[in-house]
Amino acid sequence: MVTFVSAGVIGLSMGAQYALIAIGFTLIFGILGVVNFAHGGFYVLGGYLAFTLSHVLGVPFVAAIVLATIATAAIGYVVEIVLVEKYVVDHLATMLITLGFYQILITAIVVFYGAEPMDFSFPITGSLRSGGIFVPYSNLIVFVVCGAAIAAVYWLVYRTRYGIALRAMADDGPVARSQGIPPATMFPMAFAIATGLAGLTGALVTPMLALDPHVGEGVLLKAFVVVILGGMGSIPGAMLAAFIVGLTEAYASVYLGGSKGALVLFVLVLVILLVRPQGIFGTEARKA
Amino acid sequence: MSILSIESLFVRYGGITALNGVSVEVRQGETVLLIGSNGAGKSSLINAVTGLVSTSGGRILFEGRDLAGIPSAARSRLGIGYSPEGRRVFRSLTVRENVLSSTLGLSRAAAEENFAWACSIFPLLAERAGQPANQLSGGEQQIVALARAVSTLPKLLLLDEPFLGLAPVWIDRISDAIRELQRRGTTILMTEQMARPALKLVDRAYVMRGGEVRRSGDVAEIREEALAEEYL
Repeated sequence: MVTFVSAGVIGLSMGAQYALIAIGFTLIFGILGVVNFAHGGFYVLGGYLAFTLSHVLGVPFVAAIVLATIATAAIGYVVEIVLVEKYVVDHLATMLITLGFYQILITAIVVFYGAEPMDFSFPITGSLRSGGIFVPYSNLIVFVVCGAAIAAVYWLVYRTRYGIALRAMADDGPVARSQGIPPATMFPMAFAIATGLAGLTGALVTPMLALDPHVGEGVLLKAFVVVILGGMGSIPGAMLAAFIVGLTEAYASVYLGGSKGALVLFVLVLVILLVRPQGIFGTEARKA
Repeated sequence: MSILSIESLFVRYGGITALNGVSVEVRQGETVLLIGSNGAGKSSLINAVTGLVSTSGGRILFEGRDLAGIPSAARSRLGIGYSPEGRRVFRSLTVRENVLSSTLGLSRAAAEENFAWACSIFPLLAERAGQPANQLSGGEQQIVALARAVSTLPKLLLLDEPFLGLAPVWIDRISDAIRELQRRGTTILMTEQMARPALKLVDRAYVMRGGEVRRSGDVAEIREEALAEEYL
């Protein structure tokens, strides 16, 4: 029972991380129709910015995370306007553009920082031990911060008029435009929110896991899995799927061994998609 | 005084000409109908005014201002309300959110005031405010689409086939709602294939076929024209 609870807490912490990444990924897809292959790059960028601010410039860790989040959001805003906006209706072009930006970003990081992992560690160590339950403080902090960020995004998207406009744009872009919702404002803002979330996750999580130029690739793959499982473009779907993935990984790792976690996860995803091809909250599935 | 002047408008989709030099005028306070069968060019004309399709010739003047180069969202903010063909409500949004979606350019207080105004015309909105739009019937969705279009108190309301696919009881209800909007001074340009109920609502009509205006005049003239039999 103790192991079950400990693994559950770690699974929830992982799920919260995946949710933040996947919400951003699905937000961009839902509103712009763009599959953002650079999303993992913004995760990496958030990590390197937080590392530079806290470990090189001596900025307090909390301030470094906040600044890294703002910076990745701002860079995302500019990337949308400069690179994506003009080709937003061309899905293939935007895939290639975001993939190209990812390659440039990662190459730049390798040039400036090298290809080796950074010595970037979470400033708070130790674990919560209670009644045999063992949970690292870092996991708890990440869970709380990610949870707060998820709640903030939920409030923005479902409780504000800006969120109504975002969802209207995702629902039917041309009609939304005809109702006075300007894509020139909404698209870069949505991109900035999404990349800011990726940057926040990177800044928070890389000191706990690892920081090297290629950690974004696994993150992008995980975001794909979560978003497809939840239903492309669905924010509630991404949230639920992220926690399913996080908990599955955690329990499979504990009870079946680390290497079997990914296997169990992909089998589970395959089974769910066989039963519900459009994902948990998806509304359409293409039939052969 | 003319609020909308469409002068020799051309719209082409690739090699297909959807509008071939169409001219239409809508004066302040009147309701004008475009009638014609599928492919006549009615929706292309409406979509050209909203900015959702590009024009390849001619001019659209709204309150004397040429709309060329003005994006669709900005046209809405100039005072052009739009209820699209097939309703196209935002299916994942609630009824209230659908109506508020068009008020992004207004202050929160003004948006709430306009929502209350829309509820006074369409009581259904208050009753179903929290219900997702995809759970509504076609007639109810048409009410939501109408309310969304008028919630910014537009100077000109574009109604694209508001009776499409509706049962007679809902055609009567939508007609009543349009009359209420007329009483409140709304200028309307509407399209419809079902000319019989539509002609009861309008001051003037244009008969379209093959992307061109074939006849125009007041309702009595159009009704008497032999052409009208095609559409009645």
